[in-house]
Amino acid sequence: MSGATVAGGMAQVVGGVVLAPLLPGLVQHLKARLQGRRGPTPLQPYRELRRLWGKSSIDVEGTTAVYRLAPLVVVAALAVAILLVPAADRAPGWGVGHDALALAGLLALARFAVATASWDVSNGFSLQGASRDLTLSVFIEAVLVLALAVAALVTGTTDLRGVIAGTAGGDVWSSPALALGAAAFALVVIAETGRQPVDNPDTHLELTMIHEGPLLEYGGRDLAFLQWGAAVRHWLVLVLIAQVFLPHPEGTWWQLALLPAWLVVLCAALALTETILAKSRILIVPRLLGVAAMVALLGIVAWLVENA
Amino acid sequence: MIFVLLAGLVVLGVGAVAAAAPGAFATGLRLQAAGALALGIAGFWALTDGAIWGASFTSVLTPHFGVDALTGLFLGTLGLIAFPALVFASAYLQPTGPGRATGLLTGAFVLALAGVLCARDALTFLFFWELMTLVPAAIILVGGSDQGARRSVFVYVAITHIGSAGVWVSLLLLAREGAIGDASALADGSGVQGVVALAAIIGFGTKAGVMPLHTWLPRAHPIAPAHVSALMSGVMIKVAMYGLVRVLVEWLGGPPVWVGALVLGLGMLSAVGGVTYALFKHELKRLLAFHSIENVGIILLGIGACLLLRARGADEWAAFALAAALLHTVNHAVFKALLFLGAGAFQKTVGTLELDRLGGLLRRMPWTGATFLVGAAAIAGLPPLNGFASEWLTLQALLRIPAYGGVLDGVLGAAALAGLAATAALAVFCFVKVVGLVLLGPPRRHECEEATDPPGPMRFGLAFLAATCVVLGIAPGVLFSQLVGLAPWASPEPARPGLSLPTTGGLPTTGIAVFLFLLVPLLWLSRGSRRAAPSPSWASGQPLTPALLWTSAGFTKPLRLVLEAVLRPEREITVRSHGGVVQEVSYSGRVPQLADEWLYRPAARHALSAARWARRLQTGRLGTYVAYLIALVLALLVSVRIGILG
Repeated sequence: MSGATVAGGMAQVVGGVVLAPLLPGLVQHLKARLQGRRGPTPLQPYRELRRLWGKSSIDVEGTTAVYRLAPLVVVAALAVAILLVPAADRAPGWGVGHDALALAGLLALARFAVATASWDVSNGFSLQGASRDLTLSVFIEAVLVLALAVAALVTGTTDLRGVIAGTAGGDVWSSPALALGAAAFALVVIAETGRQPVDNPDTHLELTMIHEGPLLEYGGRDLAFLQWGAAVRHWLVLVLIAQVFLPHPEGTWWQLALLPAWLVVLCAALALTETILAKSRILIVPRLLGVAAMVALLGIVAWLVENA
Repeated sequence: MIFVLLAGLVVLGVGAVAAAAPGAFATGLRLQAAGALALGIAGFWALTDGAIWGASFTSVLTPHFGVDALTGLFLGTLGLIAFPALVFASAYLQPTGPGRATGLLTGAFVLALAGVLCARDALTFLFFWELMTLVPAAIILVGGSDQGARRSVFVYVAITHIGSAGVWVSLLLLAREGAIGDASALADGSGVQGVVALAAIIGFGTKAGVMPLHTWLPRAHPIAPAHVSALMSGVMIKVAMYGLVRVLVEWLGGPPVWVGALVLGLGMLSAVGGVTYALFKHELKRLLAFHSIENVGIILLGIGACLLLRARGADEWAAFALAAALLHTVNHAVFKALLFLGAGAFQKTVGTLELDRLGGLLRRMPWTGATFLVGAAAIAGLPPLNGFASEWLTLQALLRIPAYGGVLDGVLGAAALAGLAATAALAVFCFVKVVGLVLLGPPRRHECEEATDPPGPMRFGLAFLAATCVVLGIAPGVLFSQLVGLAPWASPEPARPGLSLPTTGGLPTTGIAVFLFLLVPLLWLSRGSRRAAPSPSWASGQPLTPALLWTSAGFTKPLRLVLEAVLRPEREITVRSHGGVVQEVSYSGRVPQLADEWLYRPAARHALSAARWARRLQTGRLGTYVAYLIALVLALLVSVRIGILG
């Protein structure tokens, strides 16, 4: 195993497990600055995790193992996803593969766990959030797979290491395919991170919650697990967009060196969209995602016209 | 091993007869289960062995029987489903008159299914094919012949018979051309090839419940007894897939591109349409029946991808696509049988399958509930279970259509890719709803509160199928490597537990499963033991009364609103007020079946008016009929004279 592979693996695990909460923290911090507030430091999510870790969990009356296991299943699924998504074009095998399409299954497992748990507590607000989340997931998953398909077609493989290597450098940008895929994937990023215009992460009104709704009944370490999970989702999609759909250099070391810069830029971009866009009506969001699907399909058509 | 197969068939027959006798009812069903087990072992043996037992396929019309690897796969699946289903049935059925008749007919049904699979000539195939259609109809009528059941059976028999005309046409044409078992007999691109392909797609597609030919399926499957529903959804519609693979992939040589495109398009329609309508069904077995349509669609996506890739010369991936379709066939058989048997257990205990009137059953029926949960997660395509593996493979195969194809089929492949991704997400949505309403939350009626697990044999059937879901999810590669060799142009891959295909990142299912199964207990330990005082679920400060519980319709409402333009849901709100005060508000809503309204109802209307017109010919007067005969003879003479005939 070469030094670059070890470094790639380290970046992947340390970044995904330890540094992930920094990403939503950074978005919140930058957003506050953009809005003229001082806001919390980027380290705020760690403080919240520490506070929650010290509190006791709550077993809601009448619930079963489904409710209790859900946060753990979310963490397990996302931990496997961290191993699945490499931080650069080299990464150790980890025994879970690096396949782009397998990612969709792991994200679905996390979603299934949370949504069944909201049935277990039978809290109306939880279920409302779960039902909206699942409705949007139908469109998000289609866009996610189509966008990844664009990258897979351009590079000729669905192995994410190969995809990152294949989209490195400037040559791939001579065709519009990858740019169209990037535009579609940008919407996946916004939806998976629960940002405006899809969802409002700051809302305290249960009726408007999507991703936060199903977490309402959780407390203590359970909630800490789930908040960590939300941060890991940021890590996964931001790393993917940075290393696949945005220009990145060839060579593992250069890719790893540039990744933090891209992540900061992307967090700033999320803060900016959060600031300038309002949350759209839930029924409008599928149309938005439908447009993204069409854009990704256009990317595939562009690739086909060039190569068929 | 052929003796195991024959012994299995004999034991099945003996068991069927014994089940009809009052004293030996349970023994008979257990004998049938043993026979089915032998059938399954022999089938999977034939698959791995690759040898041909008995006759090969022939275009001669005298009875021939035999087994090859593909038959072995489907026989193995039949055994894999029929064994637990029959063990389940031995406790599920009552030894009353109708129960004993059902026991007898179940054995006959399994034998008919095995007959279709082992037939090696067109006529034997068609004989058992018709038998396979009629026996479940008889089972349903034996179970309860109220007005609704009779009507459903009529629709089932009528539609599958009209559809099976396609099977007759395709098989007899193939036999005429000497193409049964011989891929080189039909010229590529010839008219006969096109007709055979189209007839086969219509014929087998109707039996498989492919949209828009599906309308009988959600009517007939739910009213059968649970174990028969499991066999119908798990195996019978798969036998149609078997026929389709035989005709389109094996015997047709190299069919033109449009055949693959048509299969792919129908697959996409069935997958997305089936799961969407399933979401808006509020009765468990009807919902499961719609999921059968969805999964047949996923299988068709694999077969369509195989045909398109083969037409483009990508033989390696065509074999992978076929293997993906066949793996999903086995997987769907397993989890759908599990879900239908689970539904049967719920119905027996609680007395209803209306989703809004169940609830809280995981706690009260832990065996049934936990196995049902496994089945739900498997059908939703979640790792580390079996549905995930085959859906991943199908996605990979679809991705290769744009990679190897032209612009048009490439776009179709990409659309199918998006469709399958959306289907998977919709299936997650649907089974979150099912799990939530059936297993979780407070019980919604008195019977749910007092529900207990069913007796041992029923639990065994469920646990066996759930374990199969897990095993096939952890090591799908063992089966997959054999299935790759079923394509006539490919050979089996070396066996390994995970899935590893060229130009993919691979799916080491074992590694993923190990990680998931290790992490969850570890995290459980780290969760600690500190608990706050138990608190009720929060409902804005009110007690959580049944009126505040969510319903099936409510949970799916956001999607119904989003898809309003496509689904055209109907709703009716009547407000009755008296003296300016609202007394009563009644609401009813439904999502109509567009295929019924736009295809079947007009077809039935036109058929009836055509029949009314044709009735005028039947005057009942002797003179008229003599005139008809004279006209016929004259017409024949004239046509011979001018050279149309003879």
